[in-house]
Amino acid sequence: MVTVSIHNLTFTYPQQSRPVLNAVNASFPAGQFSLITGVSGGGKSTLLKLIAGLLPTDAPGITFNDRSLTEVPATQRSKTVAMLFQEPSTQFTMDTVANELQFALENQQVPADEIPERLTAALDFIGITALRDRKLMHLSGGEQQKVALAIIVAMDSAVILLDEPFASIDPTTRLVLLQRLAQLSRERGKTVILADHDLSGYTDYVDRLTVLADGHLTHLSPEATQERLATFAPAKLRLQHVTVPADNQEALIQGTQLSLTANGRTLVTPQNLGLFAHHTTLITGPNGSGKSTLFRSLVKLGHYQGVITYDGTDINRLKRRPYARQVALMFQSAATQFLNVTVDEELTLSLKNSYADHFTPAMVTQLLTELNLADRREQIIYTLSSGQQKKLQLLCMLIMAPDVLLLDEPFKGLDYASLQTVIQILKRVQQDLDLTYILVSHQLSGLDTFIDYHLQLSDQHLTYQGVRA
Amino acid sequence: MNPSLKLALLVLIALEISFTHVWTVNVALIVVSLILMVWGHVTFKRLAMLTLIPAFFGAALVWSLTLRGTASNHFLLVIFTRMVAYVYMGGWFAQTTNPLTLTRSLEQNAKLPSKFAYGFLAAFNLMPKIQAEVATIKAAALMRGQVLHFWSPQLYFKVILAAMNWSDQLAAAMTSHGFVEDAPRTHATEIPLVTRDWIMLVGSLVLVQIGLFVGLP
Repeated sequence: MVTVSIHNLTFTYPQQSRPVLNAVNASFPAGQFSLITGVSGGGKSTLLKLIAGLLPTDAPGITFNDRSLTEVPATQRSKTVAMLFQEPSTQFTMDTVANELQFALENQQVPADEIPERLTAALDFIGITALRDRKLMHLSGGEQQKVALAIIVAMDSAVILLDEPFASIDPTTRLVLLQRLAQLSRERGKTVILADHDLSGYTDYVDRLTVLADGHLTHLSPEATQERLATFAPAKLRLQHVTVPADNQEALIQGTQLSLTANGRTLVTPQNLGLFAHHTTLITGPNGSGKSTLFRSLVKLGHYQGVITYDGTDINRLKRRPYARQVALMFQSAATQFLNVTVDEELTLSLKNSYADHFTPAMVTQLLTELNLADRREQIIYTLSSGQQKKLQLLCMLIMAPDVLLLDEPFKGLDYASLQTVIQILKRVQQDLDLTYILVSHQLSGLDTFIDYHLQLSDQHLTYQGVRA
Repeated sequence: MNPSLKLALLVLIALEISFTHVWTVNVALIVVSLILMVWGHVTFKRLAMLTLIPAFFGAALVWSLTLRGTASNHFLLVIFTRMVAYVYMGGWFAQTTNPLTLTRSLEQNAKLPSKFAYGFLAAFNLMPKIQAEVATIKAAALMRGQVLHFWSPQLYFKVILAAMNWSDQLAAAMTSHGFVEDAPRTHATEIPLVTRDWIMLVGSLVLVQIGLFVGLP
């Protein structure tokens, strides 16, 4: 049973002037499931990494039962605290599930003859005995997170930290993980601290909610926690203007008996699907349900079964280069799309390669001003904040002006004012150049007048929502 | 055979045939490696690749040396067989050794510091992810109107950026799974190092020495 206490903790990243955490005081009692919430980029990950001892800091201030982590012998720290990360696939050293568990136990110097027994018990507890000899790289994100939790169970760590662990996994797996975590805290006295910005579905499991805002932590009382969790509803979509496309409407992109699978898991069962030109289509669905996989298939990056045609031709028969001119994807991770070092170089490249003569340097300057990026032209892209990167990425892709632009979470990390500007720009360019947008977004506010069609992905099926035209 | 000794044997033999000019020994090594590969169920396609690639480059080398006209036929034969022998021996090692067993053996038998052993293994297991990332970067660049070839510096810049990011994540994850550089660990899987391994190592080396001694002009 270990209680984590934080006294007067201030942390500033090197080369930044503002502290991410400012004189934080908090205590996370043993046997409780605590949830930390706050805006993305607000310092939740930093706090967890500091607790886990993964960030070098001179500042004392974090103690485990009044002992700091540096006082614990290095090989025994994983018994005190272990962390489960947001990105499922980069947290393993070994090839198979059993080997990774064995690796972790060997690190703790568990006697060789006890290892098989503990390994089996941990897999049993999470309910993944069947995955024992599977290759980690072949597992789905959800399965990888289950394995990561099984490792923590096997290591018997007293404090379990989880950094947005459900960001890319399906609702069923999330529920299993939540149940196991609650069990670990209630039955085995573990201290569980989980960071998430989405508060839905935690009501039955979480003991206490902690809010991290502007570098300060505030614990809510159990009553206030339940109230807050109960009133948190995932952003409801209020689209008044969406219609279901007419049956005789000609589709630009047509999927026939299209089905999607990822690592052996079925995401979409065979169905016909039409996507329509010169409109804006929004695709929604739970995390990990296959939205990004669909996008990757549409740009020939992913595997799918069935046939996808673009303007009547099977996309497998279209060459990559000309096809990229017609259908382009704005990737979810902004950095993927940048090829240069500074903002200006990036914009110059897009202007040079643009498929439309529409954009002029003067227009780009105007757009930069609207997006609050005008004074950052010389800046190195990788030092921009995630929201600024997202805006620059969007601008670069709009200047390219492909016929169909697929946007994967284009509003991620944007504040409300930026969101409004971005939507206005998107609308304007669409009108001027007659573009087709298909977007995936969890951010739904402010989209009402922008969206024409709404596709919902649920129960492995994509269906158009709204009233019949 | 114990993977560490297997590796040591290959390196020693490769060094020796680099400095000697006995083509019969090279041919003997090729034949032995081929037999061992067939024995180890290496697929026919792999074998064909392992043969054609060195044969092509070896032939190109021999041809260019012939054109210059100073090298003797004996030297050309040695050069050609040496190249094929290198590839065959390397092929036998790569195709019949499990990276995890090699890592464990290097750690347990050869006393290699665990941070090298497991660092290498983590990177090796990340290979499929790197391949997928290269495909994604190429596609993302294509959508910006930029074609990246495998020789484009921009491609490597982007891959290195991604790899640096992963290496941080991986290092954090290894720490979180209790890995401490150079700290003692227990071993649930022991890699045996028995007398038979040593006999095979010494025996093979002696055979090569005899071959080289007899074959020397």
